[in-house]
Amino acid sequence: MTAAVPGGRIAERGAPQPAGGRRLSIGRLSIDWRAQSVYVAFVALVAFDLLVTPGFRNPTVIRSLLFEAAPLILIALGQSLAIGTRGIDLSVGSVMALSSAMIGLTVDAGQGLAIGAGIAVGLACGVLNGLLVALLRIAPLISSLALLVAARGLAQALLGGARVDLPFGGPIPALGQMAPLGIPVVAIVSLLLAAAFAFVVRRTLPGRYALFVGASRTAATLAGHPVRLTLAFVYGLSGLLAGLAGVFATARLGAADANYIGVQFELDAIAAAVIGGTPLSGGRISTLGTVFGVLLLVVLDASFIMNNVNANYAQILKAAFIVGALYLRRGAA
Amino acid sequence: MLLETRGLVKTFGPVRALRDVSFDLQAGEVHGLMGENGAGKSTLIKLLTGLNRPDGGSILLDGRPVSFDSPRAAQAAGVAAVYQEINLIPERSVADNLFLGREPRRFGVLVDRARMVEEARALLRRYRLEIDPRRTLRTLGLGLQQLISIARVVSLGARAVILDEPTSALSGAEVELLYGVVEQLRRDGIGLIYVSHRLSECYRLCDRLTVLRDGAVVASEPTASLPRARLVAAMLGREQVAAQKDHAAAHGAQDGPDTEAAVALAVEDLSWRHRVRNVSLQVRRGEIVGLAGLLGSGRTETFKTIYGAEKPDGGTVSVAGRRIASPRPSESIRRGLAFLSEDRRSEGVFAQLSVAENLTAAVLPRISRFGVISRRRRDDMVRRYVQSLGVKAAGPDAPITSLSGGNQQKVLIARALCTEPDMVMLDDPTRGIDVGAKAEVHRVVRGLAAEGLGVLVTSSELEEVVELSDRLVVLDEGRVTGGLDTAGRDSDDVLAILAGGAAGTNAPAHGAAS
Repeated sequence: MTAAVPGGRIAERGAPQPAGGRRLSIGRLSIDWRAQSVYVAFVALVAFDLLVTPGFRNPTVIRSLLFEAAPLILIALGQSLAIGTRGIDLSVGSVMALSSAMIGLTVDAGQGLAIGAGIAVGLACGVLNGLLVALLRIAPLISSLALLVAARGLAQALLGGARVDLPFGGPIPALGQMAPLGIPVVAIVSLLLAAAFAFVVRRTLPGRYALFVGASRTAATLAGHPVRLTLAFVYGLSGLLAGLAGVFATARLGAADANYIGVQFELDAIAAAVIGGTPLSGGRISTLGTVFGVLLLVVLDASFIMNNVNANYAQILKAAFIVGALYLRRGAA
Repeated sequence: MLLETRGLVKTFGPVRALRDVSFDLQAGEVHGLMGENGAGKSTLIKLLTGLNRPDGGSILLDGRPVSFDSPRAAQAAGVAAVYQEINLIPERSVADNLFLGREPRRFGVLVDRARMVEEARALLRRYRLEIDPRRTLRTLGLGLQQLISIARVVSLGARAVILDEPTSALSGAEVELLYGVVEQLRRDGIGLIYVSHRLSECYRLCDRLTVLRDGAVVASEPTASLPRARLVAAMLGREQVAAQKDHAAAHGAQDGPDTEAAVALAVEDLSWRHRVRNVSLQVRRGEIVGLAGLLGSGRTETFKTIYGAEKPDGGTVSVAGRRIASPRPSESIRRGLAFLSEDRRSEGVFAQLSVAENLTAAVLPRISRFGVISRRRRDDMVRRYVQSLGVKAAGPDAPITSLSGGNQQKVLIARALCTEPDMVMLDDPTRGIDVGAKAEVHRVVRGLAAEGLGVLVTSSELEEVVELSDRLVVLDEGRVTGGLDTAGRDSDDVLAILAGGAAGTNAPAHGAAS
């Protein structure tokens, strides 16, 4: 990609160039606007907010937006990989809640342990999901839907429906508050993990296998790829990231809460991945696009709140915005 | 005459699918409709059942011209087709399916279940199908479901029934059931058009056989006066060989010139379902063996079972003398066996990915270190094969879909070759590519043999298999029925073997003797 926009960098390099898209050529620069719509939309929205939205210029806004975005980036990464295999992971929001519940249960035994427990339960959920998909050949939509219901239920049962407040000191509250130079630590961790994720997807065997499986499962089998192991890896990774996202969200909230953490996050994760250029038809993935998809949705939510849009109408407007963004992407790579 | 066509013509754009086809079906007759793929069988069926309208000619039912504008209209008039894909509701009971849309009612509204089940039972018994009508359709095998489809259309009043490849999904026992059903239909005075690729079935069931080729009727005769040899010749378009039928079969047991070379592939008694039956064959290093057989003879299934893409029910596969213990593609690749699928689009290319990724798809672990794929080694490999096979692509990162069919195929052949195999199996490697690319693929295949690889190849065109290979293994209904050295021969000899069918059945797999 010779695009001047950042999409060319981390965005999946192996993906073919869009054929016959609407292009703007300036010398050797050739940009397919449709493929870059997430970046265009993000820039346009931020410009709009800077001009119109009261208080948006305040530096604390970006700080709080990044706190919001950090867990969502993690689960959107896992989601985009699942979608890249032509699957889906609906369980991520509930797995975040289960991770939160584990933190609530174990926090008295030590915060480091609690963080570990949250991540571990996420991984366990992901591996279970992966085994259902890979070994029992259950459709990912179904297996992860089952896990969506079960993990949330288990989380609520573990905490007895109550909210468990976390202590004021220690590593977990620090994660929820620390922001050197106005950049939250959790956002830095999420972005570093996104970079690592991009490397895994582009350059390593499990990442490439995932996209091969998504492009054509039959062809992947005939090429000798470990299809089932790959699927188990993909869903395991998604669960692991959801577990960590649960830790971040819990830290931000300052409490473990199975009823609040991660509710409907799976929908934002799917929307972010797809808007960012990871088609549901599989075989393709854009890490940078996914990150920007998350940022776009987070800024969008903030725009509604800061402009005092009624929350019900905000939902409708957000849906319209997502549909619009997908419409702009139609036919693009 | 129950059903008759006169001078039917149908064109799709520039393609003349049917040319002046006259065909007839009598009540109580089983009329076999045969021909290779693209001969026009399905077009004829579509016209008869109102799915398409003819561009010329007429269709007569009971001697009166008819014109069906939908399958429903055809069905109402008494013409119905039963296709390979079942269009019943798998989740409902057999009785529900039989009476779908015309359930016996009580007081005009309630479905009279008891009566429906009773009537269904009677209907099934009539065709000697011992099935509980209350069973869910899904729990029956596909073959039985197909038979129930037949029972349904007949009970709906169909008098002319078209069975489109009824047995391609049937097991051995189910085939016997089908024969029973067909006998009953015949007694009931129902006319049956039987479309199948399996010659032995057609000879057992049909009163008359009509052969289509390139959209025209090339033979139509009572079964008894159309010997197998002439039938096959008519299907493939080489009537003149009919006379010499057993001539070539006699030459079946000669050995090729390079009997001393090491064995690259040895297959012993391989079986998979009913499609591959006790297949044994050998391919030596430097040898190109052609797998010859009509459509539906089990060529693709044999390839896939050898490769481990289908789990064999029995038998062994050895590559370069070492047995493949757990048959699956990854293991086959590791042992030096490579395979090119005939279905490039859905089993070959990864449409979303680049030329380089497609080319190296089967060797990723070999060009990786600690799980990280080496760009340099990948690009070296791509450059080497793009050059040696003459792949025309804009570059290694060009999308595979930007290449022509022939060049895509070369990339897939390269994918097979970069696993450094001892043995390659190519299932119809020139399917859907143009003449120039075909010649290049041939050159590549010969080059492989010259380098000492064993090659097992097939093609949908018999001439091509003969031209390409040193030796043929003939396959018929999943069995090896003969072998033939092809040096100095043309496809007529092979045709004779294919046509000979039963005559050559007992000949052992060629090469297995040594």
